[in-house]
Amino acid sequence: MLPALAFFAFTVLVPSVQGGWFAFTDWDGISPVKHFVGLDQFRKLLDDTAARDAVVTTLLAAVAITIVQNTIGLLLALGVNSRIKSRNVLRVFFFAPAVITPVVTAYLWKYLYAPDGALNSLLGAVGLDGWKQDWLGDPDLALWSVVAVVIWQFSGYSMVIFLAGLQSIPGEIYEAAAIDGAGPVRRFWYVVRPMLAPAITINLMLSVIGGLKLFDQVWVMTQGGPGGATDTLSTVIYKQAFQFNQYAYSTAIAVILTVFVIVISSVQYRYLSRQERNSA
Amino acid sequence: MRTNRLLATTSAALCMAVFGTGCSSDVAGSGGSGGLRVAASSTDRIPMDAVVAAFRKKNPDTKVEITYADTDQLQSTLRTQLSSGTAPDVFTVWPGNGNPAALQILQKAGYLADLSKAPFAAKIADGDKSVTQVDGKTYIVPVTFNGIGAIYDKETLQEIGGSEPRTWDDLIGLCGKAKRKGKVLFALGNQTPWITQLVDYSLAATTVYTKTPDFDEQLSAGKATFSDSAWRDTLKQYLKLNKEGCFTKNALGTSYETSITDVAQGKAVGVVQVTTSIPQVQKEAGADAELGLFALPASNAAADTRIPGAVSAAYGVNAQSKHMADAKKFAEFLGSPQGQEIYAEKGGTLPALPNDSFKADPALASLIAMQKNGKTVPFMDQRWPNPKIQQAHFTAIQKLFAGDATIDDALKSMDKATTSQ
Repeated sequence: MLPALAFFAFTVLVPSVQGGWFAFTDWDGISPVKHFVGLDQFRKLLDDTAARDAVVTTLLAAVAITIVQNTIGLLLALGVNSRIKSRNVLRVFFFAPAVITPVVTAYLWKYLYAPDGALNSLLGAVGLDGWKQDWLGDPDLALWSVVAVVIWQFSGYSMVIFLAGLQSIPGEIYEAAAIDGAGPVRRFWYVVRPMLAPAITINLMLSVIGGLKLFDQVWVMTQGGPGGATDTLSTVIYKQAFQFNQYAYSTAIAVILTVFVIVISSVQYRYLSRQERNSA
Repeated sequence: MRTNRLLATTSAALCMAVFGTGCSSDVAGSGGSGGLRVAASSTDRIPMDAVVAAFRKKNPDTKVEITYADTDQLQSTLRTQLSSGTAPDVFTVWPGNGNPAALQILQKAGYLADLSKAPFAAKIADGDKSVTQVDGKTYIVPVTFNGIGAIYDKETLQEIGGSEPRTWDDLIGLCGKAKRKGKVLFALGNQTPWITQLVDYSLAATTVYTKTPDFDEQLSAGKATFSDSAWRDTLKQYLKLNKEGCFTKNALGTSYETSITDVAQGKAVGVVQVTTSIPQVQKEAGADAELGLFALPASNAAADTRIPGAVSAAYGVNAQSKHMADAKKFAEFLGSPQGQEIYAEKGGTLPALPNDSFKADPALASLIAMQKNGKTVPFMDQRWPNPKIQQAHFTAIQKLFAGDATIDDALKSMDKATTSQ
């Protein structure tokens, strides 16, 4: 344990704290010269409309991913937890996208989403021409197109965690509830949901953190475009550091993102833990 | 240097801790072979491989290890490597000042070796010195001369009954001819940010720089703004072309790759592109396809038409290189007539240094003629005061096409980027 902790501290914790120091300098990321500027980089954030817009985009994406991904994951878990013969095949089928690297799936979907791509062709083929869209080129739609890919990819991941929770519930409890006359909805709400509380906590925590850090899929599919419509905090951090030569400012935004993740996930964890205790 | 290394490592770790893959990169890597390490953009793979092969043949005792990366990755990785003292010995450096790994940014930080004494330095054309030199000293070896114009398939142009336009009105008329034949004149992949700049750079070469050749100097000196310049007319022209149906219908959802394919498949007559894209269009269209190139006219006075043309690929030598002699030898080879010819021939471009024996791709004839007549204008971003302007421009064009901004908004955002720290 101790060696692992020491390694983690040496490679992650200490450098992270040291790196945070850049947020208080004017370093451009390449010049040997840097000066201490106090909170200037953080003050700059207040006038940066692109960063402010990115905060809204990030929160919207995180909320949508958390709600939809977990709802689909739970429904899939309930489905493949049944006694149908093909359940193992279906489990693998739904989980498969989660094992592919996000960059690869993002490239794949970029082609599927193209104006003349497979998705629009499919809609045309089934007579839904009116549903054809410029999925990644329409600023009102682009973020949701990217979010949909994340949900498609990781719903199976949520499913596996829910499935583990479902399989830990003894079958006798279901049967007893059924004998007592509880229908499927009541059985889920009063029997399954309380016992799934730990799985719900893990899934919600993971998807909120993943949503707040959203980068790969956005970068591959839109690079934050069109016109910044899909810029998240992570893409803004990348652009400031590597395209604008504003390394210190980028680090300041990264610090803000870190605070975001810590605060939101802490509040969420406290709430969910209380729910778990109440359910127990 | 030790401090820098520690700082770079810690900053990378912070990035990794905060947003995972955003900082990760496994390209332009560290060799460890003990030989000369060269890093180049992956778009230059074909010509660079050929140059390295020729160099190895000439210098069998020098071991050369070459790595390639996409532009974004190369720029970000190079910066990290340079500040941590692990950078390659020779690497791609962008001329001028337009991006994070451009000459003036790297030289200012002291990462580039002085190449003024190399034989090629004396051959650099006067017009290219502003983007290849700093304070009269040469820090990069310019390798190719690249243009931005309309690359088109001659057969498709014939199909729509058109000919190369010489004036703005000709150009608008040609859009109509293409439409009537169920095609678009130009494929446009504005989903890919760097593509967004090509059309208005082409128009600005005439609209802005014919009347104000020193616009960029004025901009840097704070004596000019985008808002109060002919850039306003340039953006109007860009949108006018869009309104007239000259471009792919869903340009914001169309990528660079798709735009090239559209030309190759005859859905579009041509594409406004850098001339280094000619080999790719040719490859997709087939060896039989005959390609042409024309400067995008932006005025009804044909004689006013200019074309963006500038040093494109360029390489610098790491000032901290442990193989300085070999690195300079390699840079000199890149600047030699043999190196330049190989690079230009394999890359479908022109040599950056005068070379009368070079036989260019016929598609480049009009670029060569305009270069000889002094009708080229350096790529705009190469002389802009900072890299943020180009990025602001990318975003502004996408917003204009999405209808989320006005021309006034676009120009103001570029002005704001000009004066920002």
